[in-house]
Amino acid sequence: MEIDVKKERQAVIIALTGRMDAVSAPQFDQTADDFIEQGKTQIIIDFKSLEYISSAGLQSVLALAKRLEPINGTVLLSDLNGAVKEVFEISGFSSIFPVFDNLDAAKASI
Amino acid sequence: MYMSQLHVILPAKMDNLESFIQSLSRWLCQNGMATEKIPRVELAVEEALVNIIRYAYQGQAGDVELSGDIADDQRFVIEISDSGTPFDVSTLPKPDIHCSIRDRKIGGLGIFLLQRMVDELLYRREGDKNVLTMFICRNNGRSSSSRRDIHAGA
Repeated sequence: MEIDVKKERQAVIIALTGRMDAVSAPQFDQTADDFIEQGKTQIIIDFKSLEYISSAGLQSVLALAKRLEPINGTVLLSDLNGAVKEVFEISGFSSIFPVFDNLDAAKASI
Repeated sequence: MYMSQLHVILPAKMDNLESFIQSLSRWLCQNGMATEKIPRVELAVEEALVNIIRYAYQGQAGDVELSGDIADDQRFVIEISDSGTPFDVSTLPKPDIHCSIRDRKIGGLGIFLLQRMVDELLYRREGDKNVLTMFICRNNGRSSSSRRDIHAGA
């Protein structure tokens, strides 16, 4: 999995490419931890180029949201599609996270 | 079309997950699994393997065996076996998928996803082995709503 990070005025955008599985999800945890330590509280995850996610990836996203909640932070999900979107829907995650069709919509909501 | 079988045995280690999944994907592709279903099968197999890698051998070394064959005209059959602690996937409680981020538990999702990705799932204890058998339709003919519930036992 590739992780590209962009810091913008209103949020940090973490763009994921490839496969988020039990082997690669810890990379995401490390990236997310670094931003929380830097005091970032608004995080958009861009799933546009992610082809695959397993429960390990979902757990990483949930763990990030749980860490941000006590500090009034938010995780926003953008551009879910294909197999990844299906996994978010089946697991119920699509209804507990704010989900946006694209990055512009996610940024506009902050 | 000539149908090949899949057979991979490797130590139950996270380092081997990629090898298992790559062998599986290649086999599914070569034998005509609908392209859009391949990530679903990969997900089911990853969840089963990760569960074995994390819990079956409780810190000891052990192998995991992945095999695949054509069950009939419509279905593939995939078996995953290990010699670890007895574990029947049907005994796990379903996660509450409607609660808030705060109340949502981390974990417990893997087996739930596995159950939703396959058309039929069977568990049996065979001697000192756990054997998990998954049946998956080749095409998109069946939805998860028509999936049969999990059965325990042989």
